[in-house]
Amino acid sequence: MDQSTDESPDPIDESVIETNVADAATSDTARGPADTIVEARNVDVFYDDVQALDDISMSIPEQRVTAMVGPSGCGKSTFLRCINRMNDRIDAARVEGELRLREKNVYDDDVDPVALRRRVGMVFQTPNPFPKSIYDNVAYGLEIQGIDGDYDQLVEESLRRAALWDEVSDQLHESGLDLSGGQQQRLCIARAIAPDPEIVLMDEPASALDPVATSKIEDLITDLAEEYTVIIVTHNMQQAARISDKTAVFLTGGELVEFGDTEQVFQNPGSDRVEDYITGKFG
Amino acid sequence: MATDSRVIDGFGQVSQTAGTVFRYLLLFATLAGLIALTVLLLFVANDAIQPLTADPGWHLVFLLTLVVPTLSTVGYLLARARAALSVGVAALGLVVVSTMFAGGIAMILVDIIPPITWAGYVLTFAVPTVALLAARRAVDLPLLAWLPVAAVVYYASLLGIPGPLGSVVGLEQTVPSVAALFSSLSVLPADWLLLVVTFTLPVAAAVGSYVRPAGDRVAAAVGVGGVAVASAAALSSSTVGLTPVPATTLATLVVVPTSGYVCRTVLSRPRDRIGLALPAVVVGGSLLGAVLVRAFEFAGPQSWVDWQFLTSAHSRAAIDAGLYPAIGGSILLMVTVALFSFPLGVGAAVYLEEYAPNSRLARLIDVNISNLAGVPSVVYGLLGLGVFVRYFDQPSGTVLVGGATLALLILPIVIISSREALRSVPDDMRRASYGMGATRWQTVKNVVLPRSFSGILTGTILALGRAIGETAPLIMIGAPDVLFSLPTEFSAKVSAMPLQVFAWASLYATPEFYQRAVPAGVVVLVSVLLAMNSVAIVLRNRYQNEQ
Ligand SMILES: Nc1ncnc2c1ncn2[C@@H]1O[C@H](COP(=O)(O)OP(=O)(O)O)[C@@H](O)[C@H]1O
Ligand SMILES: [Mg+2]
Repeated sequence: MDQSTDESPDPIDESVIETNVADAATSDTARGPADTIVEARNVDVFYDDVQALDDISMSIPEQRVTAMVGPSGCGKSTFLRCINRMNDRIDAARVEGELRLREKNVYDDDVDPVALRRRVGMVFQTPNPFPKSIYDNVAYGLEIQGIDGDYDQLVEESLRRAALWDEVSDQLHESGLDLSGGQQQRLCIARAIAPDPEIVLMDEPASALDPVATSKIEDLITDLAEEYTVIIVTHNMQQAARISDKTAVFLTGGELVEFGDTEQVFQNPGSDRVEDYITGKFG
Repeated sequence: MATDSRVIDGFGQVSQTAGTVFRYLLLFATLAGLIALTVLLLFVANDAIQPLTADPGWHLVFLLTLVVPTLSTVGYLLARARAALSVGVAALGLVVVSTMFAGGIAMILVDIIPPITWAGYVLTFAVPTVALLAARRAVDLPLLAWLPVAAVVYYASLLGIPGPLGSVVGLEQTVPSVAALFSSLSVLPADWLLLVVTFTLPVAAAVGSYVRPAGDRVAAAVGVGGVAVASAAALSSSTVGLTPVPATTLATLVVVPTSGYVCRTVLSRPRDRIGLALPAVVVGGSLLGAVLVRAFEFAGPQSWVDWQFLTSAHSRAAIDAGLYPAIGGSILLMVTVALFSFPLGVGAAVYLEEYAPNSRLARLIDVNISNLAGVPSVVYGLLGLGVFVRYFDQPSGTVLVGGATLALLILPIVIISSREALRSVPDDMRRASYGMGATRWQTVKNVVLPRSFSGILTGTILALGRAIGETAPLIMIGAPDVLFSLPTEFSAKVSAMPLQVFAWASLYATPEFYQRAVPAGVVVLVSVLLAMNSVAIVLRNRYQNEQ
């Protein structure tokens, strides 16, 4: 990841995030691949007066797949949106506590959420390609972020990384909406990784897809973790077990009840509530 | 019961009488207004066109050449190829609407803005635009630095150096504006040539890019062919009794788009190309009928909607009266209204939908815009009179004042319908864009506006349709009932079609005016309105398909 950020032409001029990243990188050059990239410290989120997340603290490792599981309405998506400050778009939402990305609190006053989002790609639950050509979809992030370079090559590279190139290489200039649901979702992944973010957030990326498309996306996620930090929300236990290195279990009320290595969480859950949930007794 | 294996002979009946009655009442409610209006229009059209005054032979000829072939084509397509039928209807509509549109533009180019002035305007904007684009390539400055540069360059191009600002401080004009430079050239190309360059070329390019998905070569052929046809039309115009300018306009706006549509349909929807038989049959049948009628010397109907009616001004004698200045006035008003209301209305809608915080003030504005949409048009007339005529001291009844007043009138409608279109852009799209690190401006420009544009355009056209039919505000701002020549500038007095029809029905209401000229005026007005609405409907369908 460090390599790829260094290589990539940098679009964001002197943003706070960037300087901070540079600090972190230089002060800590010998960092192993599993260093913490995102750290939540006592994060509370309220929608008006309703609390959606309750005192969340956790450290998410770099270049790993971290899964967030839990019953619906327990605040998984809310947490994901905290990381790239997409909650800012919701008038009612209020975030308290600290959420650090490479040691920099993204809720500090001097952080520009737009610049932050250029470091953090996001893939949504329902595939949402733009009504533009496949090429333009992938190039969108490059264009708006003002990234220089050979777009043809960058687009191809992103589509290859998203395991979509072989299927669409001869129809790059046709609408992204003509693809199947699974292809659309991989297109969205290609779009998200094209500007080379550090983190890719995925909110139930396979829940609207059939099993075959789902398994393609799962393979892809495993591959992506070689270069990116992937944080994925899912309510599918098996999926979390298959693809993630770390698992966070949220339960109703917005509590984080368990966070640890996936194997350990699934085989030896720390509490009965978690065990009941992951063995399917409720949820 | 399980052991009871008797066969039953029915399940009985559940009464649906009330439901059936209700259903037909609803049907009646749906159709009542439609039927009433259709009947009225039929009567009006009958008065205006008087089809029964034609020779039976005339009817027979057109029955055989036009009506029967058209109906059988439609019947065939209905039974065999419905998709093709809609292609055919679209092509036919394109021919009809583009002809009307071309007529209006030709009128402007002949009587209001001569091609040389038009070319001057085009140059005024093209020259600085090209220069700025080239400069942006060469010099790297932040966007904010370009804004003043662009302002200065456009100012110089439009008004010269130092322009009116200079005359305020007593400086003499040293460099004339682009338009002035252009018109002072000693040798100027012919009018039609100017038109081909400044008007046909862009249209041909646009049509070419529309055809492009069907193949690059065809697209190029359509573009180049279009320019050739327009030039040929100008050169051969005298043989059909036209002057070069209208001939070029007609070729540019009718022949080029129609052939573009035909080419694209033939190539990219081969299964539906049979539908193109419909416009072919209608156009061919009409021409054949016209030739035959002339050959057999059958007299046509004594229609009041004829060339004379469309091209002459009001006259004391109903038989000599025409609608020309009013048609021109309505066109100019529409242009003015569109220029004012489109940017203001769309701007307000984008602000309210995409930028405004969800505050109490925003909600207050919201409610009041809806209220404004319901304010009677007379009140807007009063507003126009008070603001533009009294306060800004404009002469009453001019194109500018009328257009601005009507623009105010439809502004709330434009805002509301544009907001509707913006709101129908799924939030998914915005989320995707913001999630990529787009700014609000980038999201609006790249995602929201392209996606909602046809919807916005639909709403605006429908609103313009409302403006074109308004009478009361024009009376309030002192527009003359009848004019004897076209208004040729924004500060000229303007009349409009509904106003003139109203004058014929009131001030000049002799039986002939009342029974013949008024219906004829109504037919023209309604035709223009239907043409505008059909464009809006086509746009809306396209827009719904995109969703
Ligand atoms: N935009 C919103 N406005 C108000 N409440 C919301 C909003 N989004 C989510 N919530 C509430 O926050 C809680 C957590 O929601 P969410 O994060 O979507 O859960 P999950 O993704 O785990 O299903 C739910 O109770 C939900 O009703
Ligand atoms: Mg969710």
